Amino acid sequence: MTQKKISGRFDSLTRRDILRAGAGAAALTAGTSVLGMPAIAQERSIKIGSYGGYFEDSFKKHIYPVFTEATGIKVESVTQPNSSDWLVTMQQAAASGTAPADLSLYGKDTMIKAMRIGGLLKPLDVAKIPNASNMKKDFLYEGSDGLVGVGAMAWFTAMVINPNEIKPAPTSWKEFWENPALESSLGLSKQYDARFLDITAATYFDGAETLMTEEGITAVIDKVAEIKPNVALWWTAESQMEQAMKNEDVIGGMYYLDVAGLMAADGFPIAPIFPKEGNPIGYGSWCLSPLSEKSEEAAEFISFSCDPATQALMSRKIGTAPLVDKSLTGLSDEEYAGVSGEPYITPAYEAYLDKESFIKEKWDAMLAGA
Amino acid sequence: MSYPAVSGDIEVDREAGKGGPAFAAYIRGLGPANIIMGVITAVILFVFVAPFLLVIVVSFGEKIEGASWVWGFDFSNYIRVFVGVDWPNSVTLLYALKLYYTLAYAVLGSLIAVGFAFPFTYFMTQGSRRSQAMWLVFVLASLSMSEVFVVMGWDILLSNRSGLPALLKAVGITSWLKDTGWLAVLRDWDLASPRNVKFKTSQLATVLTMAYLVWPYAVILLFAPLSRIDRSMIEAARTMGAGSLTVLRTIVLPAVRLPVLGSLLLLFVYLLGTYVSVTYFAAPAHQTLPVSIYESIRGATLNAPFGAAQAVILLITAGIFIGFSLMLARLAERKA
Repeated sequence: MTQKKISGRFDSLTRRDILRAGAGAAALTAGTSVLGMPAIAQERSIKIGSYGGYFEDSFKKHIYPVFTEATGIKVESVTQPNSSDWLVTMQQAAASGTAPADLSLYGKDTMIKAMRIGGLLKPLDVAKIPNASNMKKDFLYEGSDGLVGVGAMAWFTAMVINPNEIKPAPTSWKEFWENPALESSLGLSKQYDARFLDITAATYFDGAETLMTEEGITAVIDKVAEIKPNVALWWTAESQMEQAMKNEDVIGGMYYLDVAGLMAADGFPIAPIFPKEGNPIGYGSWCLSPLSEKSEEAAEFISFSCDPATQALMSRKIGTAPLVDKSLTGLSDEEYAGVSGEPYITPAYEAYLDKESFIKEKWDAMLAGA
Repeated sequence: MSYPAVSGDIEVDREAGKGGPAFAAYIRGLGPANIIMGVITAVILFVFVAPFLLVIVVSFGEKIEGASWVWGFDFSNYIRVFVGVDWPNSVTLLYALKLYYTLAYAVLGSLIAVGFAFPFTYFMTQGSRRSQAMWLVFVLASLSMSEVFVVMGWDILLSNRSGLPALLKAVGITSWLKDTGWLAVLRDWDLASPRNVKFKTSQLATVLTMAYLVWPYAVILLFAPLSRIDRSMIEAARTMGAGSLTVLRTIVLPAVRLPVLGSLLLLFVYLLGTYVSVTYFAAPAHQTLPVSIYESIRGATLNAPFGAAQAVILLITAGIFIGFSLMLARLAERKA
């Protein structure tokens, strides 16, 4: 396996050397670089995945063009349905030998899972990513064979309400359980790993600690069962919750802070809230496919993404939270408050990985009342 | 490729004679029809049987928590379908419940579809040839709509602000329901929220959408047998004083008993795999095994073996149901 990887790397090196030599020869024959170099520059491109919908559209509209202008590398945007389903696609791609994307955007737990499965992430050369020094160390993910993921952005899953219907705004997640006026009114995610367990654990128990044992998980899920009469919608796709809030099928629940902010800006009755227990944070990371031959381009893009200016651009245009120090980004306090907040709930990643079958089945049984 | 070219290829094989004289003689003895049949058999084996066997083999694989799965020979996936992952510490009938909803929706959906298609097709076959053709074109056209499209349409029709609930509210029926206490009754039936009637999510909407999906198939399946019924028999019965119901009971139904049963079975099998309608219109508590299979295979747990085991159980259950219905039909035939 290792043998194969090394020879693969040499192959690509040789190929690239030949290309470079060819470029040099072309430049020589042309006399000036006018004819030779732009032709080579145009060939540089990379396929980058991100979550479809508003998120990907914002990348295509606001982020990739800036990168292409700065480096001459064209970006072909690839739609990922989400993080974990995309891992299945990439796993099948690894078996078939063609990758749909060079760089993928993975959530933290999906990335850890990819590391554990093995053979799905290609090590990155940190020396080629100068801007990585801006990142907090926690966002540079080391696998057994080197750096395999670099933080892209942070996002929050926030409490949301319809401010016309729920007055005054709740200050604690407990109100979702205890307010009798909310009967059959909330929209929560149906997925066991969409962080409602973390919210419940942080609100009624000792947070991630509680989710480390099976007894703890069962107790937290039993608590979630108590909120069921207040839930009108268990959503699976982002768009379902968006529609339900717009239609007033639900008047509160959990939703992504970035999209909620955008909907509010468009005049829809939705207000994201940071209750006293906080909102769960999630991290997206750029990871390279082992089938990709674009290590250089990928390193350039990741370095671009780690640039505080790019982090600020993503906060302003997409609504994600920056992974570099706020003082570097130049974001105003107001801008920062729109994409981030305190306190935040750190998900119990290990529990979701080590006890995934157990959690999923207990969660599903709770939903089904079985 | 045209026919002579095919036989030309066979000539080449004959010259090569790779498989020894016996094989060559065997091939020489085969006509082109046999060879085409052989090729078709090979394609069927590869395209249909191989994936089928793969599912069975995968269902014995082993899940690795926090990662993916590996090949293995392990019955735990099947055990989990019946008693859950935490067995023997605790037992859950979660998947049995999902199987129950799968079967219940499929049975109800196919019954409703055939129930509506039967009178519709019966009256259609009594119309002129021109009107029959027009109706058939309409039915065939509605077949071209995918499940996603149908679900989208029903979604709008049943939504709170754009569909039936909004209409009921606008014409004042909702407030009348609230005043008379009927809304509370509807809430018991899972068809109302505290604010208005609701069809999403409800089992009623799920079953109706499924019935709508297969209704065109029911019409097409029943059209031929119903149009073959001997009109003179019906006229004779009528002149002898039989009412419409008697005619239906004694002439029409006995003549199409088998096609009706066949349609029911076909639609039932078709509806067992419904996915989009269920995810849209059924609450998580009332969702089916196909949804669970999809989540196991494509969802965050990457548990293809457990998905495959559920699929095999679903297949076996469907097989038992079909076998049982065919047995009943045969018994009924023998008695008749």
